[in-house]
Amino acid sequence: MNAERLTSTLFALADPTRRAILARLSTGEATVGELAEPHEMTLAAVSKHLKVLEGAGLISRGREAQWRPCRLEAAPLRDVSEWLENYRQFWGASMDKLDEYLKTMQKKRRK
Amino acid sequence: MKPIIDSTSTEEPVVIMTRIFDVPREVVWEALTTPEHVAQWFGGHGFSSPVCEMDLRPGGAWRHVMRAPDGSEFPVNSVFVEVVAPQRLVWKSQRRVSATETAEVTHTTTLEDLGGKTRWKLVARFADYADRDTSVKMGFAQMVGQGVERLGDFLEKRRSSP
Repeated sequence: MNAERLTSTLFALADPTRRAILARLSTGEATVGELAEPHEMTLAAVSKHLKVLEGAGLISRGREAQWRPCRLEAAPLRDVSEWLENYRQFWGASMDKLDEYLKTMQKKRRK
Repeated sequence: MKPIIDSTSTEEPVVIMTRIFDVPREVVWEALTTPEHVAQWFGGHGFSSPVCEMDLRPGGAWRHVMRAPDGSEFPVNSVFVEVVAPQRLVWKSQRRVSATETAEVTHTTTLEDLGGKTRWKLVARFADYADRDTSVKMGFAQMVGQGVERLGDFLEKRRSSP
């Protein structure tokens, strides 16, 4: 995953409505109308959110002109999650070792 | 002590970790900004640092090569942005995200004097969102709060359950 991809995924996830749409899609495919319903939004507004999600590869849409059901694509979420987790592990491990090292530094200073 | 992950941040996509060290602030600062010390802890147990060179001033380079337990080496190239001894250090790193790709991470470290102890706070911002408008930043704040990971985990469980 490159930086641009990570950025577009984070951007897509930034909005609470878009996260709600993803959560809804995790239960199965849905149409734009079905996705708009709980949010009291116009179809046009929901379509805009769907375009962002689609651009980030988080959803895909069917080909049928009228129906075009949306479905979830989980891979980008996994990538972001893994990447952040690796990052935390790196600094967690570094801080553990630094904690030990500081104690030896302090002892040497006192001598 | 385990790092504390603060998920209530209100700015941009960040990872925040804090740790309290049982030594005075000057010692932590020295350990953070002196290459021979940094090489001793960077990456944690099992990792070593065959290269660590720091030009400790705004715009100065921090050239680092990390060696993993399996012998593979990873360059970590950074540039210092702010250097305020003994309390604040900001640097930008190019961080490898795959075999061929890197992402930019801005690290802001603050050291708080707790009287003989020191609280280290590390804030990492991923990529550079400076060019994006305010509404986008507000959106990011929401994302950080609710958690990419929690959503990811949730979706993961959904997928794996029949």
